[in-house]
Amino acid sequence: MTELSTRQLTKSYGDRPALEPLTFKVDSGANVALVGHNGSGKTTLMKMAAGLLDPTDGSVQIGRHAAGSQEARRLVSWLSDTPTFYDDLSLWEHLEFVARLHGVTQWEDRAEQLLDQIGLTQRRDDIPTTFSRGLRQKAAITLAFIRPFKLMLVDEPFVGLDEPGKQALLTMFQAASQRGATMLIATHELSFVTRVGRLLALRDGELVYDGAPADTDVHALVLPS
Amino acid sequence: MTDDALDNIDNINTSEAFDAEGARQALDVLHDLRRRRKRHRLGDIEWFDAAYRVYLVALFGGGTVLWISSSITDTTVSNSAVADVARNGPALIGMITALAFLAAVRSGAQGGPLALEAADVAYVMLSPVDRTRALLRPVVQRVRSSAYLAATFGAIVGQLAGRRLPGTPVAWAASGAVFGITTAMLWAGTALVAHAIRLPLWIATTIGLTVVAWQGAALAWHIPGPTNTAGSLAMWGWRQNLVDLSAFAVAAIVLIAGVTLLQLTSLDALARRSSLVAQLRFAVTMQDLRTVILLRRQLNQEQTRGNPWVPVPRWITPPIPRRGIASVARFPATRLVRMTAFAAMAGVFQAMVMRGTSPALIGTALMLFLLGLEAMEPLSQEVDQPDRTDSLPIERGELLVRHLIAPAVALIPFAAVTAAAAVAVLGTRAIVPAAILALPTVVAGAAGGVVSIVRDAPDPTRNTQQAFIPPEMAGMASAFRVGLPILVSALAASTILFVRHAETLHTSAIGGAIRGAIGAALLAALITVWVRRRDRWKRTFRKFMSDGQSYKQRSTA
Repeated sequence: MTELSTRQLTKSYGDRPALEPLTFKVDSGANVALVGHNGSGKTTLMKMAAGLLDPTDGSVQIGRHAAGSQEARRLVSWLSDTPTFYDDLSLWEHLEFVARLHGVTQWEDRAEQLLDQIGLTQRRDDIPTTFSRGLRQKAAITLAFIRPFKLMLVDEPFVGLDEPGKQALLTMFQAASQRGATMLIATHELSFVTRVGRLLALRDGELVYDGAPADTDVHALVLPS
Repeated sequence: MTDDALDNIDNINTSEAFDAEGARQALDVLHDLRRRRKRHRLGDIEWFDAAYRVYLVALFGGGTVLWISSSITDTTVSNSAVADVARNGPALIGMITALAFLAAVRSGAQGGPLALEAADVAYVMLSPVDRTRALLRPVVQRVRSSAYLAATFGAIVGQLAGRRLPGTPVAWAASGAVFGITTAMLWAGTALVAHAIRLPLWIATTIGLTVVAWQGAALAWHIPGPTNTAGSLAMWGWRQNLVDLSAFAVAAIVLIAGVTLLQLTSLDALARRSSLVAQLRFAVTMQDLRTVILLRRQLNQEQTRGNPWVPVPRWITPPIPRRGIASVARFPATRLVRMTAFAAMAGVFQAMVMRGTSPALIGTALMLFLLGLEAMEPLSQEVDQPDRTDSLPIERGELLVRHLIAPAVALIPFAAVTAAAAVAVLGTRAIVPAAILALPTVVAGAAGGVVSIVRDAPDPTRNTQQAFIPPEMAGMASAFRVGLPILVSALAASTILFVRHAETLHTSAIGGAIRGAIGAALLAALITVWVRRRDRWKRTFRKFMSDGQSYKQRSTA
């Protein structure tokens, strides 16, 4: 079953194209990395799949639903590279809010376990807008995992994370994948690419590689033209 | 990692029963969150401080209204003037609604009028909650605040009109408030509809300008205008036409249409606006006018032109005026249109002053102040980069004065617009006085913008220890900071009173215009000297204070 599909997906800002017509499919349960140089269109693609950006042309489907639709929003968890938080809620209150918004009623145990794994138990009652860059990223990770999802879209997840944080996140990705979730992870961390089954590479908005990571020189793929 | 922590991945339920129930529960959660956050905010309020602020606003706001009211003579206008108001009033007041429509349709095309918190976009809008119902409250807040503001403004202007026109001030205030509410509803509804249908900006601008031009034609040639009924509604304090209620009905229908289309709200636009609006609110709180202007431009996606309208002439060799002309020549079309509107409105206000409505001077002052802020972009850019300014081998005051040259030249066509607008209202007898007075008045009025820009700049002569202002003086200092630039613009605008006085005495209006022009030119020259010498004067003053303190300490010892 296809979890994510794009058809002639295009985005341009004025006269400047950010994403050339792009067509691809990601099967359910797949573990996919998305690489490319700065400005190659990775974040644009992810945001359109999350429903945060309107395509200039073409379409994105989450399962059988249009990206951004109410049904699609239930299925997609979006972990941004620039986490945002309410400045008057504690991390614990954020977790409660996001979990309950997505229909999770017994959320407390799950939240405690996630906080423990990522190393934020001591900070659960603090306001996340006061956190450092790395702690904010960790807080965003707990919020992305507290809710149900079938497809997780992740943009630059390792930025600012310390080594224990990275390891915890990798373990979470792996476990989610093993449980059948589909993962699409945009990253500059090329060592991570060896862990996934499929690699997509963008260069100047065009898909230049779609295949197994082992079959290509990943470092050459991320060089700008 | 324990398996329990990832149970949620197994718990996805895609049944229809979950959809309906989940959506309802999500809304309950959202309402619960909003209540909880409201409690947090209320808990954080310093009530004494809030009460003090309300007291200040009431004192200064109420005082200003009373002052303006008392400055209007209670003598009613002549019969011919009443007939003139009856004939032109609906079209003229309706122009405000037409301009609000233009602003709304453009705002909607650019992603307005809503602005959520960035976290609301990330968590609420990306959750399976019903977006229409989730956005209903921000819409209500937006409509409520704009209607309140417009109603207050309408009521104030209405009661001023009621002092000179037939009807009681109270009835005029009420009808002014209803007009304000109608215009605010139309503004919000139009913007929501334009946003939902993803109206391209150029089409939005064309539609908006067509309505404004049509209304302008209605004013000039007395044909039915699209917003005449709204304008006529504002005159219910005097006479009532039932058909005017259609304006209120149309505004309500457009607003309802906008609300029903909320499901089509673009998350793209909400995400972009959310961060900018948060910064904008902070800048407004800090009274940082320059940041407000820059953020407004970003919000409206107003980009400086890549290619200048005209190249900088080769014969202009001094680098600072060349840099200034290069900046002005890259003003985007939207900014030029806005500046033209400010200039034209200033001309209309000056004409109103000539006809006896003295408080219109405040309108002129505001228009010229805003025109100045727009025109003085080269100066603002310099002020935005204090480190670079300090690294240049030229005294700061001298540098800033040279930055005034290009904007002053750029104001010439706008002065022509101001003169033309005044003549359009007053008739051909005003051509010569307007031609004499317009440029000095516009340049001196824009000097208010210069004062604001230069005063907001980081002060290189100040050390932090001396910069401390006692809390008792902070309010006064803040009011002075905001009020002084407007006062300068108001002084420039008041030069029109020389002409009015001459007409009252049946002496030469041209003579009055010349006296006014000299006064405005002197004011502009005074501001230029102030910009040039300001740093030196401040250093001298601080040294004097410092010497005085040292002498006192030595004497005490």
